[in-house]
Amino acid sequence: MDKKIILLKDTESAAQDTTHDVYTLFVNQVREGGLEERVQVVRVADIGIYNQGVIVKVMPDNVVYANVKESDIGRIIEQTVKSGKVIEELVFKQPAKQMRIVLRNCGVIDPENIDDYIAVDGYQALRKVLFEYAPEKVIEEMKKSGLRGRGGAGFPTWLKWKLTRDVKADQKYIICNADEGDPGAYMDRSVLEGDPHSVIEGLAIAGFAIGASQGYFYVRAEYPLAVERIEKAIAQAREYGLLGKDIFGSGFDFDVDIRLGAGAFVCGEETALIASIEGRRGTPRPRPPYPSVKGLWEKPTAINNVETLANISPIILKGGDWYASIGTEKSKGTKVFALTGKVKNSGLVEVPMGITLREIVFDIGGGMLSAKGIKAIQTGGPSGGVIPKEYLDTPVDYENLQKLGSIMGSGGMIVMDENDCMVDIAKFYLGFCVDESCGKCVPCRIGGYQMLTVLSRISEGQGVPADTDKLKKIALAMQKASLCALGQTAANPVVSTLKYFEEEYNDHIVNKKCRSHKCTHLLSYGIIQEKCKRCRVCVINCPVNAISGDKEKGFAIAQDKCAKCGEFV
Amino acid sequence: MKKLSKQDLEKIKLSRAKEPKNWIKVGMSTCGIAAGSDVVFNALVEEAKKRNVDIEIKKCGCQGMCFAEPLVEVKTEGLPPVIYGKVNKDVAIRILEDHVCNGLMVKDHIFELRSKV
Repeated sequence: MDKKIILLKDTESAAQDTTHDVYTLFVNQVREGGLEERVQVVRVADIGIYNQGVIVKVMPDNVVYANVKESDIGRIIEQTVKSGKVIEELVFKQPAKQMRIVLRNCGVIDPENIDDYIAVDGYQALRKVLFEYAPEKVIEEMKKSGLRGRGGAGFPTWLKWKLTRDVKADQKYIICNADEGDPGAYMDRSVLEGDPHSVIEGLAIAGFAIGASQGYFYVRAEYPLAVERIEKAIAQAREYGLLGKDIFGSGFDFDVDIRLGAGAFVCGEETALIASIEGRRGTPRPRPPYPSVKGLWEKPTAINNVETLANISPIILKGGDWYASIGTEKSKGTKVFALTGKVKNSGLVEVPMGITLREIVFDIGGGMLSAKGIKAIQTGGPSGGVIPKEYLDTPVDYENLQKLGSIMGSGGMIVMDENDCMVDIAKFYLGFCVDESCGKCVPCRIGGYQMLTVLSRISEGQGVPADTDKLKKIALAMQKASLCALGQTAANPVVSTLKYFEEEYNDHIVNKKCRSHKCTHLLSYGIIQEKCKRCRVCVINCPVNAISGDKEKGFAIAQDKCAKCGEFV
Repeated sequence: MKKLSKQDLEKIKLSRAKEPKNWIKVGMSTCGIAAGSDVVFNALVEEAKKRNVDIEIKKCGCQGMCFAEPLVEVKTEGLPPVIYGKVNKDVAIRILEDHVCNGLMVKDHIFELRSKV
């Protein structure tokens, strides 16, 4: 008999974790059976299954039992561990929720070693297109795949490439947009840090398809490790002749350079990005002409997001039809989300399109961090909106999220609970866009500022009933009249919170109350004298010495000193 | 280094096909390093040298389980591969001592998330 490992975890609420008791029972039974030498019982920290009672996983057989009771322990050891027999009624089968295409190599290979990448079929797709495909065939394959830009807007990748290819020019460019700036989103950074060669390969294939011989990485300078790894990867690829002149002896020339962005959010917008690479101030310009006609240095240019490019080589190797078989009717393939906020397992998840928000948060994310219930999910960063808990069962794709007043965006997904105030959230995102507005066009520069003033007023208890209409009016003007997507979408968080949580706004304006206790101007703390035990703990711990008094007379908080930190609530 | 011809990819792939029997991978993306994976990596390398353990210790990217960083994935002969999360220097030493040397998994630190497909 091989050595067996029994993994144990109680997946009911963390408060009554009984893993320890079950562990003791298992260890005792293993010892009684005289199996100590061949069986190890291991308590694990997390087993990836939630709210299914005690989970027992027997390795290397990979049998998973859920809702195991104490009475089951005997037969699990007797049958499964000793003779490898599976007890059918206990078996737990969870369909795989995650699907890794973009993140296929992240955490698997050494990103600083090109041989590691080649060992997992790296650069095979590039070789395939150079020797077997015409550029039109590459575009055809992309069309079949249905891949849409992962930067946020969801423009079909094949169309972008075709438009750029169809323009006649002596020089064309392909740019990888790695200027990821949404608060809470870091998908692109992880791909660049974990698997830089896949993006370089995607860039080279895109270059071949549109007829570009030069590519650029536009990476923000705040990602030093990503930059370092791309630099190393480019150097290794050049050494192997996978970049440079006459790649694989096919006659195709392609090279890549890095341009660093100084961290302006607006430079993620393609015309601003081009201006920044050219050495000018990063401000957008009106389109048309689109970059596919007049882009970098007035030459036709295609700009693709990191995640889009990381999808290219699997599509070439496995075929567009394979990719199109994943996802929903109009949104194909998978999407990487940076799941953050009040969720237990924060991190990167890659899921097929069409999965519901509930599955992402509760099955993959492991549920909420605290006992407070889920209130909403924010997607799409400052250009997106909030989706209230009533819509948790919506399948995630470009169209559905848009219908709900949010967007797919680059993939930030922030889970919020009852402690999060929607006015505060709207204020935060709008404040971000006001900071990052380049100031070129009036609707964005002035509109954003005015909306922020109104929001601040509301959160400070100075709001008037006409404020919500005012917000809606300015938002509409910004959406209709701003020059670029930053201004057009900056009001989205306000619009969507107003749409779903208007009564919360009214609470702030009319009742001067913040039900989430976030807006400190609307709060005041006091001591209930009848309940006070006179322990003086609050006096000792108050960071601003606002509490005074003595044991006889009782204690009181000086309101003018109180910083409303909420430390003792 | 000479340039690769189109056949060379296969050669490199073949030479890499034989995976070492024992390996450790440490997640060294920004999320991992921020949580202290460089300390863990150095501790593993140092301990392995001290104990004369024959094991390949590699860096890798982000596994996606950022809440549990630093992550250390271990595969040794005769045991299934497992991922340890929230590893610090002490746990790293225990991983080498118990798991790698004695073939006993370290309890309470395994994050068995079946996210890898």
